[in-house]
Amino acid sequence: MLIDTAQASAQQTADAPAVRVEGVSKSFAGSVALEPISMRIERGEFLTLLGPSGCGKTTLLNLIAGFLEADQGELYIHDKPVTRVPPYQREIGIVFQNYALFPHMSVARNVGYGLRTRGVPKAEAERRVREALALVKLEDFADRRPRQLSGGQQQRVALARALVIRPRVLLLDEPFSALDRNLRAAMQVELREIQTSLGLTTVFVTHDQGEALSMSDRIAVMSRATIRQIGTPSEIYDHPQNHFVASFVGDANMFRATLLEAEGSDARLKLGETEARITSFQTDLPAPGPVTLFVRPEHCHLAEPGTPGTIPATVALSVYQGSHTELHVDCPLAEGGRAMLRVPSRTSVAPGEPLAIGLAESGAAVFGAED
Amino acid sequence: MYKSFSDHLLDWAGRILLTLILGFLVLPFIVVFIASFNESAILSFPPQSWSTRWYVNAFEYRDFGNGLRNSLRVAAFGAGIALVAGAGFAYVFNRYDFAFKNTLNGILLSPLIIPNFTIGLGVLVLTAAASMPRNVWTVVAVHVIIVLPFVVRSVYVSLQNLERAYEQAAESLGGRPLHVLLTITLPLLLPGLVAGAIFAAILSFNEFTASLYVVSQRTETLPVAMYNYVREYADPTLAAMSVLYVAAVAALLLLVHKIFRLEKVLNVD
Amino acid sequence: MTKRPFLGWFASPSILIAFGITASVLAIVQYSLRAHVPGSIDPGGFTLANFATLWHVAYGLVFLNSLLLCIWTALFALLIGYPLAYAMVRARSLSLRSAILLISLTPLFLGEIVRTYSWMIVLGNRGFLNSVLLQTGLIERPINLMFTMSGVVIALVHFTLPIVVVMLAAALSHIDRNLERAATSLGAGRIRVFLTVTLPLSIPGVVAATSTAFAWTFSAFATPQMIGGGQVQTISTMVYQVGFASFNFPLAASLSLMGLLFAVAVLAIFNTGMRQLERHGAH
Repeated sequence: MLIDTAQASAQQTADAPAVRVEGVSKSFAGSVALEPISMRIERGEFLTLLGPSGCGKTTLLNLIAGFLEADQGELYIHDKPVTRVPPYQREIGIVFQNYALFPHMSVARNVGYGLRTRGVPKAEAERRVREALALVKLEDFADRRPRQLSGGQQQRVALARALVIRPRVLLLDEPFSALDRNLRAAMQVELREIQTSLGLTTVFVTHDQGEALSMSDRIAVMSRATIRQIGTPSEIYDHPQNHFVASFVGDANMFRATLLEAEGSDARLKLGETEARITSFQTDLPAPGPVTLFVRPEHCHLAEPGTPGTIPATVALSVYQGSHTELHVDCPLAEGGRAMLRVPSRTSVAPGEPLAIGLAESGAAVFGAED
Repeated sequence: MYKSFSDHLLDWAGRILLTLILGFLVLPFIVVFIASFNESAILSFPPQSWSTRWYVNAFEYRDFGNGLRNSLRVAAFGAGIALVAGAGFAYVFNRYDFAFKNTLNGILLSPLIIPNFTIGLGVLVLTAAASMPRNVWTVVAVHVIIVLPFVVRSVYVSLQNLERAYEQAAESLGGRPLHVLLTITLPLLLPGLVAGAIFAAILSFNEFTASLYVVSQRTETLPVAMYNYVREYADPTLAAMSVLYVAAVAALLLLVHKIFRLEKVLNVD
Repeated sequence: MTKRPFLGWFASPSILIAFGITASVLAIVQYSLRAHVPGSIDPGGFTLANFATLWHVAYGLVFLNSLLLCIWTALFALLIGYPLAYAMVRARSLSLRSAILLISLTPLFLGEIVRTYSWMIVLGNRGFLNSVLLQTGLIERPINLMFTMSGVVIALVHFTLPIVVVMLAAALSHIDRNLERAATSLGAGRIRVFLTVTLPLSIPGVVAATSTAFAWTFSAFATPQMIGGGQVQTISTMVYQVGFASFNFPLAASLSLMGLLFAVAVLAIFNTGMRQLERHGAH
């Protein structure tokens, strides 16, 4: 009986999410930095907090790390409440935006810092530092000072320093923003490989949607101090649930429309002078009335002006992109008066030329005013 | 870069102006240097004959030796206490909110506005009113009050430039607050602390006005001894003393400059 | 979890010192309200007589003298300090920069006595300046600089110059050079760039430097005492004289209290005025 219970609880602990956030909120001097939010981060998952600056993603990261204390709610790491546990007892590894490598210590001493605070015996500590440096391919740099390293190398040291303590969760605070473009792509691949091979739960904060889409198991898109949608990269990109997510991730065309009737996922819309039928990926559509019609550029095509069900526009600018050409068009029905189409590179259109935007049958969505 | 005729004219005007100003700054020290080697006890330019006897006199004058010992002691204790108190205050002021934080800050920085003679008089009448003895610690207390704002400012600037991420990284790696303070914060603040301490020690060593109110014959500091000498004698002994003083301070500054770069210390970089 | 580790430990020493400062100021206030007992250091009963004594033309002139000294000194220190700070921040060669830095800052670390004594030798009737001028035949009789306001101002400008330079240089070094480059690219000459970009952006530094020069001059004692030689009376020399020549500490206390209030009031007026000026200048 006793054994059963122990096993059951061990079982439960093993199944428990790496991080569980329950109604956690935070305000600073009266302004809300984070509305009460709840979420689970599974073990081994790579979860990205994506959003513009000031959306609360860094606040959430600091709450998980323990640098901030939540006003309300409870935070669990491996099913243990940690809301009031100080950072130094949370067993969390962090890679900071500017890496925060201790400038007065060698690379090896930087990496070994977390082992010294834990009183790991010297011989074992040295071995683990060597292993960690080998993991990030910096064995030969142990005696250098951080400022003698390139940006990419500094980032690897920061990663090794965070990994060597075998953290329960790894937090990454915009770690690629200081790297140039080519190095960034290489580091992203390398980081993801290490993370997958170690099965390490990772929370990644970024405002770069490309980074988020390419690296994550799941993305939590945040704005105005709350999570607007959480899902896999393809769910976020293909099936955004609201206006903010649709426009923040990827390119989006938004048209002012009136929803005439809806049946299941099928909708009939009034678009200016004409009417169109679309099949939305949404399960429930808003009530009939003024709405915003969302279509990705890849679900739009060029049509003959005047074709029923198309949206009239004029070419403003065409931008050659190699594999295709981006047509930026003036369109009275579009939000901001502008929409964008991707057309084959050979298509020749001159600025000022009238055209019409045709909509694909799927891939669109309708957002009510409150979304 | 292309320069027109008027640009060159400006350049030259600037150079002449700069030379004149720098000349104004060093003039008294050059003059005092020449005067210190004047053989006669009565000032004359240029000196009729040369001698180093005033240097011998300066070394042999008992009040100077006594004053130097007092000044060194007061500067060491004054700067030391100001460093500990000032660095501690700068830390809590930078990091925390607490009751009367700004009041405390205002009081501690007020000696920047309260004239030194008022501080000296204040401590003098305080000790008189409270029937406290006036000894070397009274002088130290006055000096701590006067140099503290400079230490606070120096350490505060260092703290502001210290990225919080270093300490957060250390904390996330399991460093407890005291451990983080000792292994991360203090080492990274070291230049600011040392600069603040040296700055405080020099200021304290030079302090004259407030000291004049609280010293006795026994606790007389070097500047007070020098002042008293001018009032009694007119010979160039004090010129010799001044030259030694300038040389010592310039050497110390040069050393600080070599190690820390004054631009950084004074935040003019 | 202690959210504010070390707060008590780190704040305590400074709290103790703050109490010391407060007690000293309160002691002055207390003494200023006590009667003077001739021949005794201990004060008598409570009275307002000291302030009545201060309400006299002679003391008014001392306050006025102090104010004039502060204004002249701050003005000249600023005029001389600005080009120096500019040269220090903008010097291209590192060695020139270091030289300017060391020459302008060394006096800051020399204290009032050494500097004032040096100026006595320069300004005296048999001093360097008069000797040179007499021997070159430019003058026939020595110019009186010792025991005059001009002499005191010259020495005080020298005294306050380093701190003025430090503060101006700090302000100038934080001006983005690209703003000046932008103005140049828009066709402004060097003088115009300076007058329309650099100078306006350095105004906060100028205000701070002026306030500090004022406070330092107001606080100066050795310079007016030694170079003024009793002919140039300031609040600082008066307080000392009343205290240590007449042993009238209650009067000295009330004098320095009024002096402090006077200085604070002048600085407050100056700073408010400058802020108004800046706000109007921003339009």
